Amino acid sequence: MSSKPATAAVLDPLEPVPVLVGRPDDRALTEGLLKPLYAPTTRGWKLLITLLAAGMGFWVLSLLTTLVVGIGAWGNNIPVAWAFDITNFVWWIGIGHAGTLISAILLLFQQKWRTSINRFAEAMTLFAVAMAGIYPIIHLGRPWLFWWLMPYPATTQLWPNFKSALPWDVFAISTYATVSFLFWYIGLIPDLATLRDTAPTRLKRTIYGLFAFGWRGSARAWQHYRIGYLLMAGLGTPLVVSVHTIVSFDFAISQLPGWHTTIFPPYFVAGAIFSGFAMVVTLMIPARKILGIEDVITMKHLDNMAKVILATGMMVSYGYAMEHFMAWYSGNPDEAFAFINRWTGPYAPVWYMQLVCNVLAPQVFWFPSLRANLKVLFVVSILVNIGMWAERFIIIAVSLHRDFIPASWSMYTPTWVDWGLLFGSMCTFGVLFLLFLRFLPVIPIAEVKELRRELDHLDAQAAGAAGHGHGGGTP
Amino acid sequence: MPSLGLPIFGQSPVTPQPAQRWRSLAERDGTVDPAAGNYPDGEQPAPEGFSRRSFLQVLGASTALAGLSACKAPREQVVSYVKRPAGVTPSVASYYASAVSRGGYGVGVVVESHEGRPTKMEGNPAHPASLGGAGLHELGSILDLYDPNRLSGIRHHGQPVAWSAWLGELQVLAGTLAKDGGARLRVLAEPTSSPTQADLRARLLARFPRARVDSWGPVADDAGREGTRIAFGRPLDAEHRLVGADVILSLDADFLATEGDHLRHARDFASRRGQPTGMNRLYVAEGSFTVTGGAADHRLRMRASEVLGFGRAVAAALAANHGLARLAPLGAPLTGERSRQATAVAADLARVRGRGLVLAGRRQPAALHALASALNEALGNAGATVVYREPVLLDAASGPDRLATLAAEVKAGLVDTLVITAWNPVYTAPGDLDLAALLAKVPNVIYLASRHDETAQVAGVVVAAAHPLESWGDLRGRDGSASIVQPLLSPLVECVTELDLLAAFVDQGHLGAWRLVREAWKVRAGGASAGGTDVSDAGFDRAWSEWLSTGLVATPGAAPVKAALDGGRVATALQAVPPARPGLEAMFAPDDKLLDGRYADNAWLQELPHPVSKLTWDNAASLSPATAARLGVKTGSQVTLTLRGKSVTAAVLVQPGHADEAVTLPLGYGRAVAGPAGAGVGFNAYALRAAAAPWIDGGLELKATGKQHELAQTQEHFSMEGRSIALSYDAAKLGEAVHQLEELRGPQESLLPLVDYGKEEYRWGMAIDLSKCIGCGACTLACQAENNIPVVGKEQVLNSREMHWLRVDRYYEDVHAAGGKVTGEVETVSQPLACVHCELAPCEYVCPVNATVHSDEGLNEMVYNRCVGTRYCSNNCAYKVRRFNYLDYHQVVSPQLKMLQNPDVTVRSTGVMEKCSYCVHRIEHARIDARVGGQKIGGDAVVSACQQACPAEAIVFGNLNDQGSKVARMQQGERRYDLLHELGTRPRTAYLARLKNPNPELA
Repeated sequence: MSSKPATAAVLDPLEPVPVLVGRPDDRALTEGLLKPLYAPTTRGWKLLITLLAAGMGFWVLSLLTTLVVGIGAWGNNIPVAWAFDITNFVWWIGIGHAGTLISAILLLFQQKWRTSINRFAEAMTLFAVAMAGIYPIIHLGRPWLFWWLMPYPATTQLWPNFKSALPWDVFAISTYATVSFLFWYIGLIPDLATLRDTAPTRLKRTIYGLFAFGWRGSARAWQHYRIGYLLMAGLGTPLVVSVHTIVSFDFAISQLPGWHTTIFPPYFVAGAIFSGFAMVVTLMIPARKILGIEDVITMKHLDNMAKVILATGMMVSYGYAMEHFMAWYSGNPDEAFAFINRWTGPYAPVWYMQLVCNVLAPQVFWFPSLRANLKVLFVVSILVNIGMWAERFIIIAVSLHRDFIPASWSMYTPTWVDWGLLFGSMCTFGVLFLLFLRFLPVIPIAEVKELRRELDHLDAQAAGAAGHGHGGGTP
Repeated sequence: MPSLGLPIFGQSPVTPQPAQRWRSLAERDGTVDPAAGNYPDGEQPAPEGFSRRSFLQVLGASTALAGLSACKAPREQVVSYVKRPAGVTPSVASYYASAVSRGGYGVGVVVESHEGRPTKMEGNPAHPASLGGAGLHELGSILDLYDPNRLSGIRHHGQPVAWSAWLGELQVLAGTLAKDGGARLRVLAEPTSSPTQADLRARLLARFPRARVDSWGPVADDAGREGTRIAFGRPLDAEHRLVGADVILSLDADFLATEGDHLRHARDFASRRGQPTGMNRLYVAEGSFTVTGGAADHRLRMRASEVLGFGRAVAAALAANHGLARLAPLGAPLTGERSRQATAVAADLARVRGRGLVLAGRRQPAALHALASALNEALGNAGATVVYREPVLLDAASGPDRLATLAAEVKAGLVDTLVITAWNPVYTAPGDLDLAALLAKVPNVIYLASRHDETAQVAGVVVAAAHPLESWGDLRGRDGSASIVQPLLSPLVECVTELDLLAAFVDQGHLGAWRLVREAWKVRAGGASAGGTDVSDAGFDRAWSEWLSTGLVATPGAAPVKAALDGGRVATALQAVPPARPGLEAMFAPDDKLLDGRYADNAWLQELPHPVSKLTWDNAASLSPATAARLGVKTGSQVTLTLRGKSVTAAVLVQPGHADEAVTLPLGYGRAVAGPAGAGVGFNAYALRAAAAPWIDGGLELKATGKQHELAQTQEHFSMEGRSIALSYDAAKLGEAVHQLEELRGPQESLLPLVDYGKEEYRWGMAIDLSKCIGCGACTLACQAENNIPVVGKEQVLNSREMHWLRVDRYYEDVHAAGGKVTGEVETVSQPLACVHCELAPCEYVCPVNATVHSDEGLNEMVYNRCVGTRYCSNNCAYKVRRFNYLDYHQVVSPQLKMLQNPDVTVRSTGVMEKCSYCVHRIEHARIDARVGGQKIGGDAVVSACQQACPAEAIVFGNLNDQGSKVARMQQGERRYDLLHELGTRPRTAYLARLKNPNPELA
């Protein structure tokens, strides 16, 4: 991979840091970006995946325990009938928002900087959604009947209850998972073809070839491809808003103080993007280093993402403030109590942790120097992930544990199965991600090549404007 | 001809239809030749007609009966039916009247039986001790019947012995003992009022004139009878008539829950609550926090040892201020706040002469009972609100004195044969008697028990005891009314009754209890024939059937006696009461749930939240917040309690409203040898008890061990947080409260199109009168029995997963002194809360699969087999009354326990939500009955299980669209309010605010 210093003659004033370091040619890009896939497996990777696979085993054990024993294996009770299960679900589905946002919305807005990170973010989305999708099924008392939530022509002539948010959850999540997968896969097709064409062994060539669907890269194919990709982006865009809106309905349509809040849809979407970007940053900082793609995923990318984290963090903080304002302004004593209970109740430490992580920590991103500091970025991104998990726990379990009738109040204590399902799902996510890093190109090669040409074109335009008034042309 | 087709409760007995007699199916089928002796050699003719109470699952094919007689006690064979007997419709329950013993006194019950399986015990409305209400132990004891850990057969030093063989041995033993007139024979019996046992004891003592029968009741109310002996010269039973009492002073008497005819008391007490005028007023002077204390208008918090002084102060005030000079020698004035209270109470009692009542508690010294008698006498209450009768118990005293005498005899080696039918004396005896070691000295200890326990461990011969539902017997209520105890089914295990065992000593062991009881009553009826009772066989049969069908023997009970009070003796007795021992006071108390411990193996009762502390699966040393702070302990602290040199380790429970510098030690826990439910639960307070001071003792040492013990309380938060939840007002101020109540009822605006349920034929609803509710928890238990609600165990209760559909919430409210200072006094309000069947139910719209839906009659229905278990309904339920099957709680139910289950109610599986159904199966039964009769269901015709059990009649269910129904009238009352009315859920269960009637002088 070339590591020439940046020569960019023309700098967009809005994008002072280049989104591609240097101007490597196609061959260099292909070789450089595919090198991690063809290189022999490193010991570090092996060690890491072994550790994560062990964690995944714990996750499987926790899942099996849940299925065999029942929900009683968890700490859930009455009144706290939802706890880690739905907290984990909302947390993962929130994380899963970054991919689509980066891929679809930024594509539609023609944000060039998204190019090098979209594959990465999409894969993360897909794995996060896969993790999230587990919880709504296993949190059922009788998970083998989960399909009763879907509308199908049952002989009982019963439909799901469309007044409930939960069937809509099913639609939203399944749609989101499908579209995310298709979007990710369509984006992969040209690269799969590249892999097919460059892979060193026959087996790899065959397998990648199968998945490449016979992509030849003809102009006609590209034309259809681009339209299809844009359409998928168009489909995906409303989903960014709809999925978490519907997830927020799970709470907003109820009457529980702390849940029954009309601000939830935008607040949840902001929170989702907040946590999603944080997770992308968390994963990207080590990945770009290890994979040696620091000049493809540049400081510019991280800087932009830090800004998004700051912006969405402020939105989330506004949500917190507004919740409290409404609790006071509504004059509803139960609502007021629910919020006082967050500050002074037995789970107050979690609430303070949430405030520190979600409100205070992102404020460091006001400073460009701190946005450029990888350590700060990494720590804050992890804090945001912790904070967002805490936020969901506060909303779900802490609202439930003390509601209207004080005699029914109780505490929730997680069991090892609860922890297993949380940490185990992180490990499983990690395993999937490591496999992705090993077997698929992390950077969309075709798109980076395209970006280089676009940058070349801009360079040429700039040079023409400076020298001959006109020059360049399509590369 | 004796018939086993016993009369059904409430139905007139019918003449038995002649039927072909046969003894086994094989005989009927002709496959067995009776002449060859192949059928059971029962001594009674085969039953006429099919018995309804046959027990298909256990007895199995009737051929199995052949040859069993050799190892079974004689009994009336019950033959399984294979064809539907006439008059029995499967799935239609039959009800039989019987009686159960409570401290030896009979409480009439009606037992529901499904195809021969008793499934529920309810109160007998005709019985004076029940009036239709049922207490915790009546409701709970049916679980003991099906306990898989019950003893079976006879074990002689661990070896099984056949009844007939053992009967022979017993005959030889009895012969030996008879030689010296039974000088070395002792019987330690359960306190009882059984007339048949009285006859039997007479025969026993005729044969063994030098033998002695003692009875032992660890929590017996001897002091009351001793008190009347002091006051009137002979022991008498006091019957308290609360209906006529305007002012009631309870001197440490928990008469609404653990003492006396508490079911009748609760009914009578509650009948005078709730209406703004004509309310009674209850003063309770007590140390422990009891159910009665919770119901009080003024709870005067004092140590148990101070109650006597308070009683004397009241007497002094009456003598000084109200012209009752003859009380002067009994009185002893107090000073300060107590004096003010005593003066006010005295004035109140004097105001309503003849309409007041003073009661003394069982743990108070006899002198205080005598003083209570004297106060009632002086105030003219005697004969009006309290009447005296000759005691119906066979032994007036069954306290530790008798046991101590026996122990001394055993120690001296004077006892050869000890027959124990009292429950588990090794465990219940005061710790200083060390009965376990003493029993080892007795060559023949014969112990009748239903479970393996501490006494069974040291007894040479252990005989399995029959459950009351398997027994023939008889009992008397406090008013002398007799009931026949009749079995509902053939015994599930090989077992005998107390009567069988005692009869064996007079060579009548082969007769069987049925014969003993029946013959005894035949004689008794003959004795009463002057009154015209026909004692010819047919005539007696008719009367007998009538008694069985009504649950009461139609002979008059004992008439009240008039006895002259001897004030001098009372004064002497009062003087003789020793002063309280200094130091921290130990107050022993029977547990509300386990009583003296005999229900320790009853998982229903173990899991029932304690009426006051809401504690399950444990007992704890209760003390006041101030004392706890002084001693540096908290709820859950493990402490070592030392009294008179004996120590136990217990957990502390800080009980608001408890007397300072005193510790309540509930008896009945800490069993060393018990079944899985009872063993190792709580601490054994008996170990600290001294025979000399069995109830109140001083000088208790309490030392924290530094360890913690987890106490499983179903309610963790006892404050209402200032919300309008369980509302309580002073009756005099109801007028001011009406405005607030009006805001808490009536329809709320809704954006949704509302269903007009007023147009429906039925609109089921419930009204719960908090004025009447005493918080005893009978409704919770009745609901558990009715609806097959599983027991989940301590671990699950700790995790808030108890399954009770109906819980009784209890809130404490601090009583503030004038300056707003916390006085340590608390008031409580109890609030039964089950699904309130909201018309706009929050649970329904959030269920994704329509598993909880509304019926057109307004029931919020739970469709178990549609439920996938999202638990969203519970999250959205503002009342948090839904219960989730987190685990497979029914998996652990043994096959035997499955027979207990109500076939009308579905058993729920893992992962399914459940909740109160408003006893929908009872509604449907009523609907079927109404349809058969071509009529509408009556407005009050459906009685929910909780309503049926409630001794205070606080819960009323019925059709709100029937304006004449009781529930409709209650819901239109001025005290009605809806819980969480502001949410607009339109609950069908309405509450009636609690009214208290405090004395303005004490305000």
